[in-house]
Amino acid sequence: MLKAALQKLNALPREGRDTLFLLAVIGWVVMPQAGNLPWWCTGLTAGVLLWRGRLAWTSRPLPGRWWIAGLLVVTIGATLLTHRTLMGRDAGVTMIVVLFALKTLELRARRDAFVIFFLGFFTMLTNFFFSQSLLTAAAMLVALLGLLTALVNAHMPVGKPPLMQAARTAGGMALVGAPIMVVLFLLFPRLAPLWGIPSDGLTGRSGLSSSMQVGNIASLALDESIALRIRFDGPVPAQQDMYFRGPVLTRFDGREWQPLQPRLASRFTPGFMGSPRLDVGGQPVRYEVTLEPSNRPWLMVLDATPRSPQVPGMNTLLTQDLQWVTDRPVTDLLRYRAESYLQFRHGPAGTAGVLPEYRELPPGFNPRTLQLALDLRRDPRYANADTPALVQGVMDLLRSGGYQYTLTPGVFGQHTADEFWFDRKAGFCEHIASSFVILMRALDVPARIVTGYQGGERNNVDGFWTIRQADAHAWAEVWMAGSGWTRVDPTSAVAPGRTGAFERLRAPQGAVAAAFGAVNPTLAASLRAAWEAVNNSWNQWVLNYTQSKQLDLLKNIGFTSPSWEDLAYVLLGLIVGVALCGALWTLWERSRHDPWLRLLRHAQRRLQQAGAVVPASAPPRQTAAVALARFGDAAQGVADWLLRLEAHRYAPQPQASLAKLQQQYKQLAWPQ
Amino acid sequence: MNLAALNPFAIARGRFRQWWQSRLPLSDTTTLTQRNVYILPTRPGFMLAATIMVLLVASINYQLNLGYLLTFLLAGSAVVGMHVCHGTLRGLTMQLVPPDAQFMGSNATFGITLVNARRAARHGIGLAVLDSTHPDHWTWTDVPGQGRSTVQVAFAPTQRGLQRLPALTAETRFPMGTFRVWTVWRPAAQVLVYPTPEAHPPPLPPGEPRTGGAAAMRTQTTGEFDGVRGYRRGDPLKLVVWKQVARSQARGSDDLVSRDTQQAQRYELWLDFALAGNLDTEHKLSRLCAWVLQADKLGVDYGLRLPGQEIKPASGEAHKRRCLEALALC
Repeated sequence: MLKAALQKLNALPREGRDTLFLLAVIGWVVMPQAGNLPWWCTGLTAGVLLWRGRLAWTSRPLPGRWWIAGLLVVTIGATLLTHRTLMGRDAGVTMIVVLFALKTLELRARRDAFVIFFLGFFTMLTNFFFSQSLLTAAAMLVALLGLLTALVNAHMPVGKPPLMQAARTAGGMALVGAPIMVVLFLLFPRLAPLWGIPSDGLTGRSGLSSSMQVGNIASLALDESIALRIRFDGPVPAQQDMYFRGPVLTRFDGREWQPLQPRLASRFTPGFMGSPRLDVGGQPVRYEVTLEPSNRPWLMVLDATPRSPQVPGMNTLLTQDLQWVTDRPVTDLLRYRAESYLQFRHGPAGTAGVLPEYRELPPGFNPRTLQLALDLRRDPRYANADTPALVQGVMDLLRSGGYQYTLTPGVFGQHTADEFWFDRKAGFCEHIASSFVILMRALDVPARIVTGYQGGERNNVDGFWTIRQADAHAWAEVWMAGSGWTRVDPTSAVAPGRTGAFERLRAPQGAVAAAFGAVNPTLAASLRAAWEAVNNSWNQWVLNYTQSKQLDLLKNIGFTSPSWEDLAYVLLGLIVGVALCGALWTLWERSRHDPWLRLLRHAQRRLQQAGAVVPASAPPRQTAAVALARFGDAAQGVADWLLRLEAHRYAPQPQASLAKLQQQYKQLAWPQ
Repeated sequence: MNLAALNPFAIARGRFRQWWQSRLPLSDTTTLTQRNVYILPTRPGFMLAATIMVLLVASINYQLNLGYLLTFLLAGSAVVGMHVCHGTLRGLTMQLVPPDAQFMGSNATFGITLVNARRAARHGIGLAVLDSTHPDHWTWTDVPGQGRSTVQVAFAPTQRGLQRLPALTAETRFPMGTFRVWTVWRPAAQVLVYPTPEAHPPPLPPGEPRTGGAAAMRTQTTGEFDGVRGYRRGDPLKLVVWKQVARSQARGSDDLVSRDTQQAQRYELWLDFALAGNLDTEHKLSRLCAWVLQADKLGVDYGLRLPGQEIKPASGEAHKRRCLEALALC
């Protein structure tokens, strides 16, 4: 069956074979997009490609223009229905992919083929909207080589040349072009976006959100993708102290936690922000963060960071909630340095400075929790207790009350805190933190929820710390007289392993991964570590190659205070230099393009050095005669060789190849 | 009046091209170097440039470092492709295979041998006559590494006489089609162009009595020059008057009829410029040319009389060629 198919493939006329190859390349280019496109787009593209492939396989004529026009109308309509627009990035990508496939139905003129190639290059770029990983890069390198091969093949008009021949030319072109790519990549000035990025720039990326509905973070825990990477300069803090601060949630409507000022975290409103009260102590922790794009303006830093992280090209600001934000969303891999103090005091010292919102609870929710608070207050142990004692009491309750930490807490009803405290007694960090804060407020203690990341793991290959989306966490902050806002992590009371130890609850894995991990957990872990280290260096050196790195490069080659104009000068200088070298080489090469003639000239020069007088225009036979006349039998070998050289050019069936003659030339016994 | 011919740009371009070609050296062998190989981007080349620009702008706007990589790799490959394209012709040697004489207006060809001295093959080289009016006159070939290949280039001679071969052009767009690399070559060899044979010439003129013969001028009635007699065993097929045979067969007889050589001996056929009808010179020559071919086919002796020139009656390939040459150079 397969053999027959292969034979058929070999027997196909050239046109059919080329078309099938081009279709395969197109399929490869589009495939990584399949998950990101609307289902109808994926289906239509696959259908059209298969249809076209069948036509090529059976050498049948192409469909008429009406078919294409009809499909185009369907596409435009479906795009409008899906995206509500034809503009913008996502709609654009959808349209390009379908057009790319539809164009294959219309390979009439040579121009159509070119349109396909150029649409192909463009579609490759759209892949990078969704992923810039090493795998994507490798897949797209293969796609580029495939498209170049098809392009080269289209320009071999004679016969049916094997595709490998075109592939070799294309590969050679890409290989020689690679240094050009490297130089341009290193030196082409990195400009700011020329105009605004469409707002749908980063849809579908996971991460923390600016609000918390019970259940949100439970789904994040299943996401093993990387949120940020840290490289510590000096001592590394204990893992249980690594709290990366995200949005602080204060307002609660019974179901959802919101920041104090709606949309505060997503809008840059300097008027609201004043410098928060923050006192730090102890030794600072210095580190470098590589933040994955989140489409949020939040900078992840350790609690607490009094001074602004150094972010190239962005303004940063510290909110009242001690969160660092930037003036625009992080849409690209971002690297910055920060300095944090693990010992800090934050917040107003007196009750007067605490806003009433921190004690508010929505009426009509969680009656049993309110009752629990009343019961606690009635308890003689807590009747006159201060806040630390109350917190301690509730933490004891969590520790000893049979509460459990789980990744699958199930669906909570209206009274989430009641369900946690009394019914299920199990939850994920957000349930625990939410229930804890509700109880604290019921006790009239100002409390709020902080979301962010906690923990992380060290990659032993490159020493970077990796913080994943699965490390997303929610904890509480309780205001205490005298010490301000104090971090309380109720989850640590329920599950001490969640914070601190190196183990973490794992989301259920796929069957293969599970089997693999079961057979050899260390190998699986070290493979993963190695892969992530490779990925990280890809991020550090390729994806995060920014203008500041470019200027560093210039500094290293001797510029004292480089600017982006210097980049352009270096680039221009290189181009001019290479062009000059090329011109010189051509001058040199022009005089000696014929290897046969060059060989003859070498031989003649050698004879002249030995004392023979050889006319400049002497052909091999005459040269041989001159040599024999001058040196006699000593030149017999040279003369024979010269005659073979003559035969190579003039005999109908030359005996020796030029390479062999060149080899023989070196072994000749020359007369002295 | 053709308006295009009045376009000053077209005139200037034509002049420029003429001047340009006239300063090219004439030779039957040419080796292409940096000096005589020209390169310009094609329309797809500009399309590729536009694509690269769009990719660059998209990379800038979405801050895609991988997009930069793609853009620059594509640009690098295009630059390399430009050099590969130029290298396809540079260093190639073209040798002319001396062409045979041709009839004017016919679709003639002449051979060119391409010699590749370098180790790598050269792909997709097209050869054509410059300024040809044919829409698709390109002949495409590959030249193997350290090898040669011969191609036949079509041309339609438009003028009678001994003349230079038209200027030739070799072109390639390999590997990416983004650049057109070409050269113009004027071969030194000359080709003899005979007049166009008239498509439907009138019958051959009647024979003239041999000088000194007694027979009177015969009037032509049958449209054939010679007398006929019954076929005799041993007559060469060339002597059979097939037209007559066809006619008689239509009447029901199957007798073969042969040309009467006795008749031919008494008369001799002269193709005379002065008797070729009341036409202009070229048409007369064209008719004479057709007659020469017809007479040669019939295998009879014929002579040719041109102003200031006379070729004695004879037959055979050499004689035909001599007559045609005389017609071509008249």
